[in-house]
Amino acid sequence: MSAVGEAVRERVGGLFWFWSVGAFRRSLPVLFLLGLAAFILGPLLSLILWAFAGRWFYPALLPQEFSLKWWDVVFGNRSVVNSIKYSLMTAPTVTLLSALICLPAAYAFARFQFPGRRFLLLSFLSANSFPKIGLYISIATLFYRLHLMTTFWGVVLIQLMGTLLFMIWIPTGTFRGINRSLEEAARDVGASGARTFFQITLPIAMPGLLVAGLFAFLAAFDEAQGTLIVGSPNYITMPVMMYTLVLNYPQPVGAVFSILLTLPSLVLLLLAQRLLRQGYLAAGYTL
Amino acid sequence: MRKRLRIVHWTTVLIAVVFVFTLGLYGIPARGQMAGVTLYISGDTNIQEMFDKDLLPLFERETSVKTKMVFLEHGQGGEAIVAKIIAAKRTGQKTDVDLYETQPTYIAAGASEGIWTKITKDNVANAAKVDYNRPEVLVSNGFGIPYRGSSVVLAYNSKYVKTPPRTYDDILAWIKQNPGKFTYCDPQTCGSGSAFVYVALYKFSKAEDFSGVSYDAAKVTAWEPAFQLLRSLKPYIYNNGFYPNGNVAVLQLLGRENIYMAPVWSDQGVSYLDQGLLPKDIKLAQVSPPFTGGDSAIAIPVHAEHQASGLMFLNWLLTSKAQTIVVNKLAGYPGIDWKYMPKDVRDKFAGIAQNFSPLPNGQYQADAKRLWQEKVAGSGQ
Amino acid sequence: MRSTTREGVTGLALVLPPFFLLIFFILVPAAEAVLGTLRVERSGHIVYSLARYVEMFHTISLRRSVGFTIMVTLASVGVTFVLAYALALYLRFSRGWVSTLLGALFIIPLFIPTVIASFAMVTFLEHHGYIATLLHYVGVEDTPSLVFNATGIVLTEVWASIPFATLVLLAGLQGIDDALIDSARDVGAGALRTFLAVVLPLNAVATIITMSLLFIGILGSFTIPYLVGGNAPQMMSVVMTNYFTNYLRPDISVALAALSFVIAALAGATYVAGVSRRERGAV
Repeated sequence: MSAVGEAVRERVGGLFWFWSVGAFRRSLPVLFLLGLAAFILGPLLSLILWAFAGRWFYPALLPQEFSLKWWDVVFGNRSVVNSIKYSLMTAPTVTLLSALICLPAAYAFARFQFPGRRFLLLSFLSANSFPKIGLYISIATLFYRLHLMTTFWGVVLIQLMGTLLFMIWIPTGTFRGINRSLEEAARDVGASGARTFFQITLPIAMPGLLVAGLFAFLAAFDEAQGTLIVGSPNYITMPVMMYTLVLNYPQPVGAVFSILLTLPSLVLLLLAQRLLRQGYLAAGYTL
Repeated sequence: MRKRLRIVHWTTVLIAVVFVFTLGLYGIPARGQMAGVTLYISGDTNIQEMFDKDLLPLFERETSVKTKMVFLEHGQGGEAIVAKIIAAKRTGQKTDVDLYETQPTYIAAGASEGIWTKITKDNVANAAKVDYNRPEVLVSNGFGIPYRGSSVVLAYNSKYVKTPPRTYDDILAWIKQNPGKFTYCDPQTCGSGSAFVYVALYKFSKAEDFSGVSYDAAKVTAWEPAFQLLRSLKPYIYNNGFYPNGNVAVLQLLGRENIYMAPVWSDQGVSYLDQGLLPKDIKLAQVSPPFTGGDSAIAIPVHAEHQASGLMFLNWLLTSKAQTIVVNKLAGYPGIDWKYMPKDVRDKFAGIAQNFSPLPNGQYQADAKRLWQEKVAGSGQ
Repeated sequence: MRSTTREGVTGLALVLPPFFLLIFFILVPAAEAVLGTLRVERSGHIVYSLARYVEMFHTISLRRSVGFTIMVTLASVGVTFVLAYALALYLRFSRGWVSTLLGALFIIPLFIPTVIASFAMVTFLEHHGYIATLLHYVGVEDTPSLVFNATGIVLTEVWASIPFATLVLLAGLQGIDDALIDSARDVGAGALRTFLAVVLPLNAVATIITMSLLFIGILGSFTIPYLVGGNAPQMMSVVMTNYFTNYLRPDISVALAALSFVIAALAGATYVAGVSRRERGAV
């Protein structure tokens, strides 16, 4: 940090005189930390307060009255409980299915040369950049024809589309990063292709694949627009429900539900902290 | 060592995934649950609660017909259900929708396809008690039967508004005298804001011209002065012309005393006051000409799987006993004429049992909302 | 030669299943939808014309919405990028409790569904919301609403995008050899020089990736502008939904979607150009 200070002083001279005050310089990262903490945690804390507010009118700093009554409202509502169930059903199914379809493709993108490789890899970007609203009519017609409308597998399929990009791009980078000579050595001592893949390649690639799976899970878990069209009225998942709650219920109910909806992802957060920082993400986005 | 640690890590992740997945599988509903009658109901949560906790249990007890309700929160997927019924009709299949409670405009949308049963006193005896000139029946092309009505009313904070407006023009005057203390929700997102806009339209045109079945795009030009009027209010609206998202957002602004006056649904206003989400100073009143109201009707598909049960439920819903529950729960109007309601109920609701203005038909509503966005919200200052 | 052919066939075979899904559920519907916007009925005949696009550009509120969308997206990308880069640099080059805490902190928004993030932001920033309440006790009255306008959208988009941007940038920074930085220091370069001459160019791929993916993601986002945005002007995604469901004009809605895709594709093209040039340079 002190080196930065020198460089800055060189350029701006006396204007930033306070930079030479060591205490200020040392406290800068701490200030940055506090600012970021306020920005990131502030909205969440305000949400938690609302979830336990019985009565809260401006300008009280804390609710005038704490209460658990909104939790009853949420748990007493059958469709809310169902939506939690449906979300826990669809998102993991989507993630596993997506892995099944996409991982072989990712391996091929990383290891094989074939015509149109770059173009195909790139085309998956379109899955996330064409606004879904423009596709509703076509997609709905298609799903009706396939008898997938308002079914579980219909919802799985529509959520699957949003996971393709993550499940192909990140693992492609991961597989590419694995040294070929390791695989070749295994082949030399007589291991079959499949055995080499499962015993050598897969374990090394696992953390990268988990990161991909994590992003796919979050994408599926968060999908609301497509699920609403395809799933309703049988499969209303949590994010779909959340729209209703935000617009139609008193603020505290929305807050309670927000907290419930965050719990499953919070478990993931604790498990994934370390995994995410190992740098698998950028590797996946090269062509 | 480090490597071993990582492996432990993935195992935990895997176990967690499997655990969550099993939990989820447990929740897959059993297939082929047979219900006596399947009802598709839409609306806000108070409607859902009323069916879930009061109407359906009572109906099941009295008739021993099993019910299954599919609730469309806030009318979500309303068009999809009509499309589904049309698709079933075209392919000659029965539909699982035995009874559909929705906005009259959706019923009208399916009317030309011939998907609805004509309801008369011959197939539903209690239909004789329903006034067929109600907006719900007219807007739905004659196929929708009203069973509940709530209307939009004016909510005001009596602490700050000493002489409440009695007419729509009074409201307009009050808005200009008290800048920043009034708003209505974006008509795209809610009925109470639409009501405020429709009454402005009716100031310069005849309501009857737009509430019927016919549509003529040229008639819309008559609304121009109304949009100019609404646009001229913009500087006086809360937060320099902010129209919140949804009915509830307006109630919250009232609750936080950000604003002192706004149009709200009568039933929502009453229930918010009951739950302590609005200060006691908030009062509800109807003005003249009244805001629009009556946003829901029931229709029964001709090829419903259990059509007879559907008709039976509708007939039961129009009994004065069921209607009393509806009126009490929603603090609204009954579907049948007031004269068929018990006397004590009539007396209790004498205060709000007034008329409301008819809604424009679906196509005109769409035009009104689009033009409002273009000419009022999107007009710049 | 034979083995190359076999490799090509196997590769294609493995790639086809997800690609079929893409064709079937995205590319064909998209093409169908866009063709539909070009089809216009004229005196009983179906002709192809750009009439809808002309109408779209003649509607003032729509023109304004397109400009607004691009401005908001650029602002969000800019702010996110600056914050995320600072964060990534600190996490890469500093050790200690501040670094550990920051590392745990920045990742949180990734796990909060966007609906909830938007909702939380509303309770936090609205008129008489938490910020306003806090300021009230410091003596500041009448804090204007920080949500339901462009500020609200930008703040929420930044909130939601920080983890992803930081992760990609950090991954790029971790790929830079410490030896390179040390040698730059050895020849007497200050931190700023080192950053400009060594770190920034070496991290260019990650930078391009972050910028373009952020741009595409924010441009297409619906939930945040829908819940946190104002009445007018609105982001294109919200306008599309209104035309589709409220105004009964799906044709205009799809025309807007096509336009939005074209803008996103331009960002995509920058990304491809940038990444391929870098890759060729590296080889």
